[in-house]
Amino acid sequence: MEENFYISPGPHIFTKSKTPKMMKDVIIALIPAIFAAAYFFKLKAIILILVCTVSCVVFEALIQALLKRKVTILDLSAVVTGILLAMIMPPSLPIWTTVLGSLIAIGLTKQLFGGLGSNIFNPALLGRAFLMAAFPTYLTRWNAPFTLEAVTGATPLGMVKFGHNMNINFGGLFTGNVSGSLGETSALALLIGGAYLLIKKTIDWRVPLAYIGTVMVISFVTNLVAPGTYAGALFHVLAGGLLIGAIFMATDPVTSPVTKAGRWVFGIGCGLITMVIRLWGGLPEGVMYSILLMNAITPLLNRLTRPRRYGT
Amino acid sequence: MRNTVRIISVLTVVGLISGTALVLMYNYANPRIIKNQKNEMEKAVYKLFPNAKKYDKVAMGDDVVFKVTDKSGKSLGYAFIAEGNGYQGPIKMMAGIKPDLATLEGIEILESQETPGLGQEIASDNFRAQFDGLKTSPEITYVKNAKPGSPNEIQAITGATISSKAVCTILNEQIKTIKQKLSK
Amino acid sequence: MNNVCNQTCTGCGKEFSKGLWRQNPIFVQVLGMCPTLAVTTKALFGFSMGMATAFVLICSSLAVSVIRKLVPQQVRIATFTVIIATFVTCADYFLQANFYTISKELGPYVPLIVVNCIILGRQEAFASKNGVFRSLLDAIGMSVGFTAVLILLGSIRELLGFGTIFNFKILGAGFEHWVIMALPAGAFITLGFLIGLFNWMNKKSKSN
Repeated sequence: MEENFYISPGPHIFTKSKTPKMMKDVIIALIPAIFAAAYFFKLKAIILILVCTVSCVVFEALIQALLKRKVTILDLSAVVTGILLAMIMPPSLPIWTTVLGSLIAIGLTKQLFGGLGSNIFNPALLGRAFLMAAFPTYLTRWNAPFTLEAVTGATPLGMVKFGHNMNINFGGLFTGNVSGSLGETSALALLIGGAYLLIKKTIDWRVPLAYIGTVMVISFVTNLVAPGTYAGALFHVLAGGLLIGAIFMATDPVTSPVTKAGRWVFGIGCGLITMVIRLWGGLPEGVMYSILLMNAITPLLNRLTRPRRYGT
Repeated sequence: MRNTVRIISVLTVVGLISGTALVLMYNYANPRIIKNQKNEMEKAVYKLFPNAKKYDKVAMGDDVVFKVTDKSGKSLGYAFIAEGNGYQGPIKMMAGIKPDLATLEGIEILESQETPGLGQEIASDNFRAQFDGLKTSPEITYVKNAKPGSPNEIQAITGATISSKAVCTILNEQIKTIKQKLSK
Repeated sequence: MNNVCNQTCTGCGKEFSKGLWRQNPIFVQVLGMCPTLAVTTKALFGFSMGMATAFVLICSSLAVSVIRKLVPQQVRIATFTVIIATFVTCADYFLQANFYTISKELGPYVPLIVVNCIILGRQEAFASKNGVFRSLLDAIGMSVGFTAVLILLGSIRELLGFGTIFNFKILGAGFEHWVIMALPAGAFITLGFLIGLFNWMNKKSKSN
């Protein structure tokens, strides 16, 4: 069954049994990153992840009951949204804002658009985008690993962009010993999760490859042109939310294209927007907005890259 | 033919009535608008120089500069308007500077369209108070997430670095122009 | 058309009330989105914008319905536009002269009433085809409907974005302001929710 898994634009034959299995795989793939978060940010990380997950599941059940839909919390998609939402939050975030973020992610992004499969945007990312616009000071306040106090410590991307500090601690970037969102800091943990998903064929390799590849090419070229201003390819891949975005968000089957060509375009588009924001935009990080923007044109990509019927 | 005449006459009459109405309205409103603008400027000048008694416009081309004096006729310094681009639109402010042109008296934001709750904080008392007594040379700069260390530094608003930076840049530009012109 | 016996005024109540709900300019016709989204950061601005628009709409509707039989078909839009622009400029001057701070906050959106579709739409669809009294009722109804929604939208955004309504403190110091509500995104989200609520209520009353 798994080997014959075939992806194409609609009409689809719905096989319901697949969603929980896929979601279970994603949760398993997130376990290394969860451990890394708990190790670097201690209790704060565990509380954030728990609160996000529980509130996402509760909101899903509540809203589905209110809208008189079938309650489908057992498909685990709300659990995945909850964990992912927590993973892209700064550790110092007040807990109540994450509950609001969960409500936006599940209520506004997912259920109001018709539930799983009908949402245009990635729920966790839109939840974060909402919080980013609503409480910008909280979402730009980072604390260094192992410190429970909200001591301001700039993220590596922020340091390079605004501090022009090119002393990059690659070891920290790889293991996760830098400040940043809960689950984005440890490249190692994310790569393990990504490898698991690729082996299990839960995600398609095209989007992450196109996304990370584009980022590498652009950062390599800009670094070559102006090494004092722009950091190199390795830095841009390891720093910030690129890996968690490319592995767990941009591959979301609902909000990314289903065709192969569409996936290439999607990944390259994400990479381009990310790098434009990182290098020349007002913010240090652009992964969230890049994926959300590409989510918006996914229906168009699906239509443009629809395979031709043979002979036409 | 008859229709053409009608078209022309209807449009002419409507245009005439509308023009007359606008002239009347303009005559009524314009003096009041000018007074409002003057009031606003005056309020800003007196806020910057609480002991001011009188202010006179200094002829200086397009730049608006007032020489401010107290009741004994002693010069308190200059109040000037600085304008430039912020994050979302133009920022217009009035700044006061001591007669030696080296120390700021303070700033007042007259117009700004920054993000409410973030960049708009440039108009807040906390942010503006940082400019009181600030040295204008070397150029005014900002620091982020830290207490300002030297007498020409202010602390940028968290999450609104661009707006904070814009205020500094606009001020620096105008101070430079004014210094040049006044020292002539 | 030349019904002189208009005294009974059948359905006049309807001409007024349709703008409030059934044909609400924002919720149903979805017109005039520019001021709706741009100036409703606070309830007071929504109210001021609503009043300025109401003044222009009512005066233009009156003027247009009075001269409707004199204006040749070919130049009717041009004539309406001149009339509307005159009233808009008057409103703008009036605000600048008497409510200087509000006029500064509303910025370019008062002059932009000229291009508000609600106003030209009502002239073209109603005032140019109906008598003075009906046009007046129609304009008042539409104005009230428009202003009410602007105030509602402004109140919600002000409450969440600043913790106040009409500058009265409602939510205490412990409340963390939602900056997004003061941004255009907050306007879109709030308006979306309100239209959703409106449609849901309509559906509910229909099914009952």
